Amino acid sequence: MAFDAEAASARRRWVTSRVIIYGLLIVFSLIYILPLVVVILNSFRDLPEINHNGLIAWPQSFSLDYWYQAWDTYCVGGTCAGVKGNFFNSLTMTIPATIISTALGAMNGYILSKWKFRGSDALFACVMLGVFVPGQLSLMPWSWLLGRIHLSNSVYGLILIHCVQGLSFTTLFCRNFYVNIPDDLVKAARIDGAGFWRIFWKIIVPISPPILIVTVIWQFTGIWNEFLFGVIFTTGNQQPITAALVALGAGGLSVHAYNVSSAAVLIGALPPLLVYFLGGKYFVRGLTQGAIK
Amino acid sequence: MKSVVAAGIGLMTLALLSGTASAAPKTNLLSQWDSGSDAAAIAKLGDMFKAAGGDWTSTSIAGHTANTLAKLNADAMAGNPPPAVQLKGPEIAEWNQTGQTANLDDIAAKEGWDKVVAPELLPVMKPAGNWVAVPMNIHRINWTWASSKVMKKLGITDMPKTWAEFNADCDKAVAAGIVCIAHLSQDWTDATTFENVVYGMNLDLDKKAFVQGDVDALKSPDMIKAFDQMRLMVSKYMDPGIAGRDYDTASNMMAQGKALFFIMGDWEVGTLNAAGYKYGMDNDYVCAQSPTDWGKPGFILNSDSVVLFKQADADYAAGGSLLAHLIMSPDFQKIFNQAKGSIPARLDVPVSDAGWNPCQQISQKDLEASIQAGTLVRSMAHNMTVLQKFRGAMMDTITQFVNTPDMTSQAAAQAMSDAVAAQQ
Amino acid sequence: MTTQSIAVPGAGHAGPTWPQRLAQATPFLVLAPSVIATLIYVFVFTGWTIYISLSKSAMFPVSALQGIKPYQDLWANARWNIAFHNLFLYSFLYVVGAMVIGLTLAILIDQRVRAESVWRTIFLYPLAVSFVVTGTVWGWLYSPDTGIQMLVRSIGWSNFTFALTTSKDTAIYAIVITGIWQSSGFAMALFLAGLRAVDPDIIKAAQIDGAGPFRTYSRVVLPTIAPIFIAVLVVLLQFAIKTFDLVVALTGGGPGLATTFPANYVYDMMFQRGQIAQGAAAAMMILAALAVVLVPYSIWLVWRRRREARSV
Repeated sequence: MAFDAEAASARRRWVTSRVIIYGLLIVFSLIYILPLVVVILNSFRDLPEINHNGLIAWPQSFSLDYWYQAWDTYCVGGTCAGVKGNFFNSLTMTIPATIISTALGAMNGYILSKWKFRGSDALFACVMLGVFVPGQLSLMPWSWLLGRIHLSNSVYGLILIHCVQGLSFTTLFCRNFYVNIPDDLVKAARIDGAGFWRIFWKIIVPISPPILIVTVIWQFTGIWNEFLFGVIFTTGNQQPITAALVALGAGGLSVHAYNVSSAAVLIGALPPLLVYFLGGKYFVRGLTQGAIK
Repeated sequence: MKSVVAAGIGLMTLALLSGTASAAPKTNLLSQWDSGSDAAAIAKLGDMFKAAGGDWTSTSIAGHTANTLAKLNADAMAGNPPPAVQLKGPEIAEWNQTGQTANLDDIAAKEGWDKVVAPELLPVMKPAGNWVAVPMNIHRINWTWASSKVMKKLGITDMPKTWAEFNADCDKAVAAGIVCIAHLSQDWTDATTFENVVYGMNLDLDKKAFVQGDVDALKSPDMIKAFDQMRLMVSKYMDPGIAGRDYDTASNMMAQGKALFFIMGDWEVGTLNAAGYKYGMDNDYVCAQSPTDWGKPGFILNSDSVVLFKQADADYAAGGSLLAHLIMSPDFQKIFNQAKGSIPARLDVPVSDAGWNPCQQISQKDLEASIQAGTLVRSMAHNMTVLQKFRGAMMDTITQFVNTPDMTSQAAAQAMSDAVAAQQ
Repeated sequence: MTTQSIAVPGAGHAGPTWPQRLAQATPFLVLAPSVIATLIYVFVFTGWTIYISLSKSAMFPVSALQGIKPYQDLWANARWNIAFHNLFLYSFLYVVGAMVIGLTLAILIDQRVRAESVWRTIFLYPLAVSFVVTGTVWGWLYSPDTGIQMLVRSIGWSNFTFALTTSKDTAIYAIVITGIWQSSGFAMALFLAGLRAVDPDIIKAAQIDGAGPFRTYSRVVLPTIAPIFIAVLVVLLQFAIKTFDLVVALTGGGPGLATTFPANYVYDMMFQRGQIAQGAAAAMMILAALAVVLVPYSIWLVWRRRREARSV
């Protein structure tokens, strides 16, 4: 009898703990997902209905038209061509900058962890400081610099800025990851006669995917979502999608089209969300394998 | 081969013969008008520019004015200032001092701008004596809008003429459970409302404190009285949700009859038109000059203008001249201002035809009357008088006062005066 | 230094040959551009900002100096003092809050729950959204006219108030909550990774010793993943320092001046108010606040490493 009671109470405790765990997860999930649900629902509702029933209400109208408007016809940023131009501008800027800064970060991390020299730790600390520089501080120096090298108001200038600013993060992530690779592995390769690049391609790169995915996700999201430099260092039709989102969100002194701006927000958030969705599993895995130290 | 050579020679001759007119006007207008009726109005300018043979680009920067100014600064630091920029007030003078702005006296003389632009605007457009900026419009800041529905419900037949009448009307509204003043609290809206109060209560105080930035006037007993009136309005006649509200919601409160008054500049016309509301006691809203205690027609002026910067490229230089000419043309002044809710910067453009909202027509008449009566002032809240550092200090204090219920009028006046003095 | 055992033509001569020199120099050559770029970005830009903060720059940078007056003006300014205070308050609440929530979520997910990828995606996705969008959408939610308060009241609870952004005393907490919503997923991911990496033998040993789940976590697991706290702290801290877009989108710095932040102050001073010198001084103060946190930490790190080296 005693045995049964213990088993029963242990089972009860287990069930209770499961209820608590799932309960907490569900409550948190609702809070986290609420904004996304609101935006998604609002992107399908008619404006008079939104104004009448409020922003958080079950939709009583439905139309796909606002997605089309947001993409193709809405007047934002001085023209009435929707956000598609901004979307492609963002792609043009983000993809090269992500690839370059990730590649450089990997190489730098490799050097700073496996080819140590006197002062390499101090150098790493200096590079890491770049993580903390606020954009408002660097705005004017960058303007001056871009002017000197004739890259102002050009997407290449913007790519350069994002690469340099992203280097600090990517080097930080990669170096801390590579530090966990046993030094003996590299030493043995060097004794066997392998040089710098050989070791990089044959040993480092094959085991890098987890951390590379982490850096790609981090950089892509950060650069895609950046507003200030994207707006200041472009002109005319070069503006990235964050500029369009601010234009729609600000509302300013005209009718605030919540539905179209919701659709635009989702269009703008789609690439990073996709990146997180597809890479999320690898994100945690990459971090598991010692991205942090 | 011969025909190709002949064609080439022909083309070159053509180019040489056309001489100085060979520059193709190009421009890139940097402004903060990125959405809604503002963007539509600028698009019209673009259409006119293209129709005149020019190559039009517009760079519209979203968000706060600071973003547009930051981009201007960045471009200037990079050594290639934008061809045309939306700038106003004292900033025109400041940028003129850097020597990078273009001189428009030639076009001004040829087209006779000095005779047709409102006299109060001339020192702003010609800070050092020569034309630097072209005004696009004249906005009126001292408007009070009222919901026709609520007025009828409360039995109010005329708009209040003095602040005492205003308060009385508000007391009626509060007694009936209706919010009296629809408001959204941001630095510029709080400053707009307060400027209406100060100007309406004491014209000299407004001139000394907000136009000249006199530190003693800012902490004078009359200013404290103005803060008292403001405190009464915020605490009793506005609702608690003013912070965090957006413009459209506040405007709708008035237009839909959930609030009695809305104190706001004339761009409100653009918003009301876009939302489909109609003017009139039998319709949705009416407009009137904000209450004044000194009984004459009054006008607080704000003007958007475009400054042209010197350009090395001949195409952009030609584009700048074309743009200046177009902006000052009566056609543009009419089309642009009808869309925006303001009135033309040229005094010789009539606003009597059907494309103009009745409030715009009243605005034009009041402008002329105000010039005659000597009561025309420029707006501090909208960056037409003192330097930004002084204006910012004033606006910080005003908005803090509005959102800090236990800040006394005395403390506010003193703080505002001190803040401005500290910037000198 | 390892020695090359490749037979190189000319080996046996006195100095290294060109291929050898190139091979030795490769790491430096590859590292150099990045390092130079970053050093310019960090030190030259900061140096320029220090210079400008002591100059007479108003609307445009000038080289004439005027001394420390911009710093004096800065600290005499009520709005700056509010901003600086907000930075510390926000950073503390945001970092601690995101860590606690992130840790809690990680521990919950670590309990061998089903559909882990679903939970993980839900908590992680806010990171993919820009601060501008987050601020705008949460602004809708906080607004008493259209947001959560209106929703709850409409289902019957008519005295419910959730209008954090309308009062100057509570608006900062709205920003804290939104910030935590955005970043706690990242903390969760890092903590989850760390928890997964804990040696299961340690946990078993603790359980055999009779420790309950709470004890196991607090005494055994968490100390093991201490380095992760540091990594999370670095990332969250730099987000906190750079807080700008979120404030502009959510409250615009209001009500009044209540939620103004240093980065907003720097920006407004430099570009809106034409007071570049004072803006630069404010930027330097942000870096100084950062140094106050980082410098002691670095010294402690070095001291700890030296101590470990000695005790080997």
